[in-house]
Amino acid sequence: MTELKTQPRLAPARPKKPTSMLRNALWLFVSLVIVAAFWSVKIKWSALGDFPTQLLKYIGLMLVPPDWSKFGEAFSATILSVQMAWIGTVLGIVVSLPLSFLASRGLAPRVVNAPLRLIFAVIRAVPEVVIAILILSVTGLTPFTGALALAVGSVGTLGKWGYEAFEGVDAGPKEAVRSTGGSTLALIRWGVWPSAAPDVFSFWLYRFEINVRASAILGLIGAGGIGKMLQDNVQFRNWDAVGMLLIVVIAVTMGIDQLSGAVRNRLIHGYWRIPKAAR
Amino acid sequence: MSAGTAGKTGIQVSPAHPGRPVKPRHGAQVGAAVVVLAAITVWAGIGVQINIAAIWENWSNASGNIIQLLQPDYGFFPKVIPALVETLQMAVIATAVGSALSLPLAFLASRATNPRPGLLRATRLVMNIVRAVPDILYAAILVAVVGVGALSGVMALILFNVGIIVKLVSEALDGEDPGALEAALAAGASWPKANRAAMLPQILPSFASQVLYTFELNIRASTVIGLVGAGGLGILIDNVRSFFRYHELSMIILSILALVLVLESVSSALRRKLV
Amino acid sequence: MDSTGADIRFDDVSVTYPNGFTGLKGINLSIPAGEMVGIVGLSGAGKSTLVRTINGLVPITSGRISVGNHQLTGRGEAQLRGRDLRELRSNVGMVFQSFNLARRTTVINNVLMGRLYHSPAWRTLLGAWKNDDVELAMSALERVEIVQKAYEKASSLSGGQQQRVAIARTLAQRPKVILADEPVASLDPPTSHVVMRDLQRINAELGITVVVNLHFLDLARRYSDRLIGLRSGEVVFDGPGADADESVFESIYGRSLTAEDVLDAKPVLDTEVDLNAEVELDAVVKRGAGSEL
Ligand SMILES: Nc1ncnc2c1ncn2[C@@H]1O[C@H](COP(=O)(O)OP(=O)(O)OP(=O)(O)O)[C@@H](O)[C@H]1O
Ligand SMILES: [Mg+2]
Repeated sequence: MTELKTQPRLAPARPKKPTSMLRNALWLFVSLVIVAAFWSVKIKWSALGDFPTQLLKYIGLMLVPPDWSKFGEAFSATILSVQMAWIGTVLGIVVSLPLSFLASRGLAPRVVNAPLRLIFAVIRAVPEVVIAILILSVTGLTPFTGALALAVGSVGTLGKWGYEAFEGVDAGPKEAVRSTGGSTLALIRWGVWPSAAPDVFSFWLYRFEINVRASAILGLIGAGGIGKMLQDNVQFRNWDAVGMLLIVVIAVTMGIDQLSGAVRNRLIHGYWRIPKAAR
Repeated sequence: MSAGTAGKTGIQVSPAHPGRPVKPRHGAQVGAAVVVLAAITVWAGIGVQINIAAIWENWSNASGNIIQLLQPDYGFFPKVIPALVETLQMAVIATAVGSALSLPLAFLASRATNPRPGLLRATRLVMNIVRAVPDILYAAILVAVVGVGALSGVMALILFNVGIIVKLVSEALDGEDPGALEAALAAGASWPKANRAAMLPQILPSFASQVLYTFELNIRASTVIGLVGAGGLGILIDNVRSFFRYHELSMIILSILALVLVLESVSSALRRKLV
Repeated sequence: MDSTGADIRFDDVSVTYPNGFTGLKGINLSIPAGEMVGIVGLSGAGKSTLVRTINGLVPITSGRISVGNHQLTGRGEAQLRGRDLRELRSNVGMVFQSFNLARRTTVINNVLMGRLYHSPAWRTLLGAWKNDDVELAMSALERVEIVQKAYEKASSLSGGQQQRVAIARTLAQRPKVILADEPVASLDPPTSHVVMRDLQRINAELGITVVVNLHFLDLARRYSDRLIGLRSGEVVFDGPGADADESVFESIYGRSLTAEDVLDAKPVLDTEVDLNAEVELDAVVKRGAGSEL
């Protein structure tokens, strides 16, 4: 240690370790909230004691073995949920794209921006099941209701992500279009869309992945698909059928994630799989 | 550029103007993509039984419900409060536990921070499976395993959170410049120590922002998983819905809306501070 | 503290990369403790490969490297790994072209990374560093004259300051050897001299062996005791910088010297510098540049 201490020249004073009041207060607040939640929640934590044995028991009931005779039913239920997710996503895209242009500052007047942003925020606050319950009386108890609920939900998120992407586009290309005397439409088409498109495509895919998962819930209120099969079988404690459903849902969802990942790479980087060298 | 060199680099040369390249055509590819997308949409549309006519027919009876919805029953609010509080408690606990579990898992799931290919692939596979199960399925199964109530809901939310946070944070790690990590390894640090000292500070802001984002998702998700008995607002929603008490439903929705909007503005303010 | 520097020996060292490319061919070198060695060569000559074998970042295919009392061996022999490899690395500091700092954390935390090998895992995890380690890190920052920035974020520093933090990080290791892979390639000329002088001072005052890759010949000649020229993975020159005349340059670079091979087109007036050598070099540059026209 001595070697480093022999200072040949006058060193400036060492700074004191800074402390941030705001930071400490923030940490204290967060810790208090967490402690309060644990302390006040009505949970019998002792129930966790036999959780492992119970879990093993139910995994056994579900998966050892699953009810293979229910494979067909599980598969068509899952596919129906995927179809709901697809229609919901497509409708969501069609509606949200023009709206998110209108919600972007600089592309439309403020009086148009603000209410649209509020609408997006309100939609995002309401879970899709609740939306489904709301529109149920208009559309009836069909998978189409589920798809519409997902579409409305998608408008909330896609609308927000869209205007954020459009506003985040570099000023350079925008100014270039403006300086050539281009209209707002030209600005959107040539100044904004080319830079934002990869992000927007990837939001669409991401929202589709979310919708695939969210569509399961909608079955609980009668829209069909995964949720319906789940409810029917949990009610009668057909755990081996639930196990079959679980396997099919996992397989189909993972397959869709892989596919959507490949499409995302194709759209953003120009190839389906990221080659080793680029990693 | 001469025609010869252009040919070598694979650029098509316009015959009328030998100096100019021909506009590359993706027409066939785009056309094929449009056909495929349209076909999937038609197939899915048939599957979900799109029926515009029904909307017309039901419109009159629906308008009554909508009028009810626009008149929330404020007197119902005291009954909403306990469920609202439970939803909030579940979301806080699940976010705290879920993010604590996610951080080490994210380091195991990133190519940049896990030098062992076998462990890396195993972690990623498990995480893909965890993420593939919808939260409602977790909730339904856990209600059977640990019983009706907030505990099953909290556990379902934790699994849901781990799936999301690990994916987003491990992607952030993948994209991080590994320079500092290399320097720490070159100074004789083991991988876990090097990850802690060199990589953790780099991704902390994005981790914190993911945690806040999942907290927002949890508020919404915890209202939903109650539908299968996993605590929170969902149970209440299920009750009033089955008896078509739309004034009360409207009050519940209004409370969710207020809660989510308040929390979202707090958390986005926090996120802006962090990044 | 016993000796402050360590000897480095290369015995017939070759490196073949997994794709079959041979990066180093039969290198024999002996670098005594406390020497400052500059390594020059064209891009792709194997400079980075050479220094990265010394701390095991690039494993060697055959031959033997000894660093102090540690041995690195080729494929097929017992390999230095795990804790032993980490012990070697803790004795060898490394400075990188792109600084390699964790930019989102403080300067002092970056310097403390030099203590990771010696700190227990729980201290690392909690960031609860020993006072001795913090003291060591602070005095390392003092040595590169940047201690007043200790609690600032690394990203807020200029390039030259970041590189000095990176040097402080190696000093915090209390190393016997410092390796520097093009430490000034991302810096402007005046800053380059500051950083090179830091390295030179550390070598002179602490007796640490310093091996530094440099793209610019004049820098290598000015700051190192000994020059090693690499070409296509082989040593083509080894001797004092003053001996490196134009024929030597040609053997290293395969062509005459041009203005691109030196940092300062004009000699910098600096009392520490041997002006004659500088002028000579300048003349060589002019001749070389002329012959290209
Ligand atoms: N990981 C690797 N796999 C295969 N070949 C490599 C690898 N790393 C380096 N090489 C090759 O080995 C040769 C020497 O590389 P090295 O990085 O040591 O050169 P260098 O002298 O440091 O060059 P520069 O001045 O550009 O940094 C180069 O031809 C390079 O392409
Ligand atoms: Mg190099």
